[in-house]
Amino acid sequence: QTHIADEGKVKPLSHPRCYSAFLSFAGVSCNSVEKKIYVHLNYTVSCVRLLNATHQIGCQSSLSGNVGVLHVLESEENLDWVLHSGPNPPYMVILESPLFTRSVMMKLKNGSGRVAGVAVVAPNTNPAEGFSPHTTCPNENTGVYSETYEPTMANCNMTVWNPLGNGLSYEEFDFPIFSLKDDNDTQVIRQCYLDHNRAGNGSTPQYPLCAMQLYSHMSAVTDTATCMRRNAINFSLNPEMVCDPLGDQNVWASTRPLNNTAKGHKMWESVVIAAARLDSRSFFFDIAPGAQSGVSGFVTLLAAAHALRNATQEAQPNRTILYTFFQGETFDYIGSSRMVYDMENKQFVVDLDNVHSVLEIGQVGLRADSKLWLHTDPVSRRNESLNVTVDVPGFSQPLPPSSFQRFLRARPIPGVVLEDHQSAYTNKFYESMYDNAENLNVSYPPNLTPEEQLEYITDTARAVTEVATMVARALYRQAGGEESQLSSIKADPQIVTKMLYSFLVRSNNSWFQQLVPSDFTSYLGKPPNFYVGVVQQSSEPTLLVQYLLANLTGSTINITQDNCKNQREDESDKMYNYMWVQGAAPPNSTEREGYCVRSTARLSKALSPAFDLEQYTSKNFSTWTESRWKFIKGRIFLVASHELEMLTLGVGVGVLLSSLLVTYIISSKADILFSSGREPTNATY
Amino acid sequence: MNLERLPNEEKLSLCRKYYLGGFAFLPFLWLVNVVWFFREAFVKPAYTEQLQIKTYVKRSALGLLLWVAVLTTWITIFQHFRAEWGEVGDYLSFTIPLGIP
Repeated sequence: QTHIADEGKVKPLSHPRCYSAFLSFAGVSCNSVEKKIYVHLNYTVSCVRLLNATHQIGCQSSLSGNVGVLHVLESEENLDWVLHSGPNPPYMVILESPLFTRSVMMKLKNGSGRVAGVAVVAPNTNPAEGFSPHTTCPNENTGVYSETYEPTMANCNMTVWNPLGNGLSYEEFDFPIFSLKDDNDTQVIRQCYLDHNRAGNGSTPQYPLCAMQLYSHMSAVTDTATCMRRNAINFSLNPEMVCDPLGDQNVWASTRPLNNTAKGHKMWESVVIAAARLDSRSFFFDIAPGAQSGVSGFVTLLAAAHALRNATQEAQPNRTILYTFFQGETFDYIGSSRMVYDMENKQFVVDLDNVHSVLEIGQVGLRADSKLWLHTDPVSRRNESLNVTVDVPGFSQPLPPSSFQRFLRARPIPGVVLEDHQSAYTNKFYESMYDNAENLNVSYPPNLTPEEQLEYITDTARAVTEVATMVARALYRQAGGEESQLSSIKADPQIVTKMLYSFLVRSNNSWFQQLVPSDFTSYLGKPPNFYVGVVQQSSEPTLLVQYLLANLTGSTINITQDNCKNQREDESDKMYNYMWVQGAAPPNSTEREGYCVRSTARLSKALSPAFDLEQYTSKNFSTWTESRWKFIKGRIFLVASHELEMLTLGVGVGVLLSSLLVTYIISSKADILFSSGREPTNATY
Repeated sequence: MNLERLPNEEKLSLCRKYYLGGFAFLPFLWLVNVVWFFREAFVKPAYTEQLQIKTYVKRSALGLLLWVAVLTTWITIFQHFRAEWGEVGDYLSFTIPLGIP
């Protein structure tokens, strides 16, 4: 799948190069005036505009960038300088991370023109008290609890799932907000402020002042219906796409091969769905480490799938287990709503009548007291009796936000959601840029090489392995397998720790290099990012999970590379998916020996049904779109006072007028001044 | 073209052509008529065809004023209310500004 990284996002023009080779020949060194004035920001991460059926959220800058005088905010009281008393508005506010709170941001939002933008310095370690820019009640309008289905449980009336949520990700700002790393470049910015802008002892700072300009102009506006309409207009002078729907692909695999070309109901097929979530988000664009909210869940499911590989091949249980990894769940359940929609419309390999039950793995990485909780839906449990022996939240509590809720919306299917929290989340950094390896306590002893770190089994890995073993055994029993086989099902901690390292620390390691095809290796170097992204751009984690799932649940097949890539084996090839991966290099050579992996791991489209049905104001489906932009960049420079600028302009205009006057005077007296005996001729035109 | 060199009948026929042409939704022809023939109609000493030219120039000016009024009104309304008209505003526009409603 090609990576259209720059669709609609034009690279900024680099400043004109100095052809110093030519000039140095003449003994003159070359200097670029632009480099003397501007210092460009190297690391530009900003928040972008997202739209849904009713709102637009995120940040917007003006078309020519927002310019503001730098001010490093010292405390919340110091906001008074920015908002009221500072003499040089608009200001570009630099926030250290303890001040990046809802109260400060709301005051800046109401700054009415005095705030040109905000830059947040991201710390190197997570803050102690927790930070979650998501809402307190994730996905409250697209879950199963609504006015028609148990309104007492809707809108988090009973349990607030994300109490630390301050909702900043879902606010709308009319100035750009960038994120800076805490490194030397940011120190240059702080030093520029201290040198020029610091107001010392009651005196106002004098021009020239240090200023910053941030560009993050977003093309889309108002809501999804408007931007999709503007995408589709044909007769305008320059048709331009302004937004794209969010979406990607779901990954799924089955323990027993299913005929993927025959969609719809499969007779005699009873399926247990084991679900997990792939994606996450944060306040800033393309930063989503998603350790506890996404990685812990899907790594557990991958390990469980691996643990079940032998058991489901040798002693096949009655029911098929379908492993599903949903993308886009953060944004109103894009992946799971699409799969349920496909099942209802006979577009998927099975349909809802084939589904026996659902086991979903939520956030399981941070088990306090090593406890795990099974959440169920109290409404659908009223009519049935379940024998549950694992810990259940003792009182009648709704399901946490989970993909299973979308299945319940369609049909009352029995199911459970496995979480490590009894009621509110234990994750203090839900959907934020701090939900990383540090949040999961994944730490390695010092002085280990990257390859040693890959193999080192951390405590978190052991804990996740326990969960995976339990999940695998529960799935096997739920699928009707024999009890005698249960003790042989064990998850492998080595695999779990390698997966955690690859998805949380570094994906470019020897293990992943063996599992992926050769054209994918260039995508392995990037930091882990689980943001779902727009539908045209497939995200790397989805494909990585597919390759991993194929490797962990499939088998190696001895066929040629050509046959493998063209999916040809024998008459059973409709049931399987074939992938040619590059493999490892044998010890005495540098050429990798590739091989073919045969598995049932496939991708299915995860685009919200609202876009296929063109119901852009739908309340039932996700309608999230992401705006397009031309470029995102920033630079700092010294800015002169307004009076000096006006004076320069006035002098220039004065010189122009006086030169026109002198020219007119000279030309009207030309015959006196330049007497040369020639008669002036009158020409008529 | 220098009107000084034309005979008066040709001036009259030119003025008439521009006057009639402006009725084909071409108010700019009327503007040209007014500006070009103003001196001929009102400043120059009288000649036979000048009365007719004067009439044409006056009527062109009237038509021009009408067009200016209509266009100014429509442009003001459109620029002000395009954002509120939503779908209709978008379908009436050739270029839709990015990033603002």
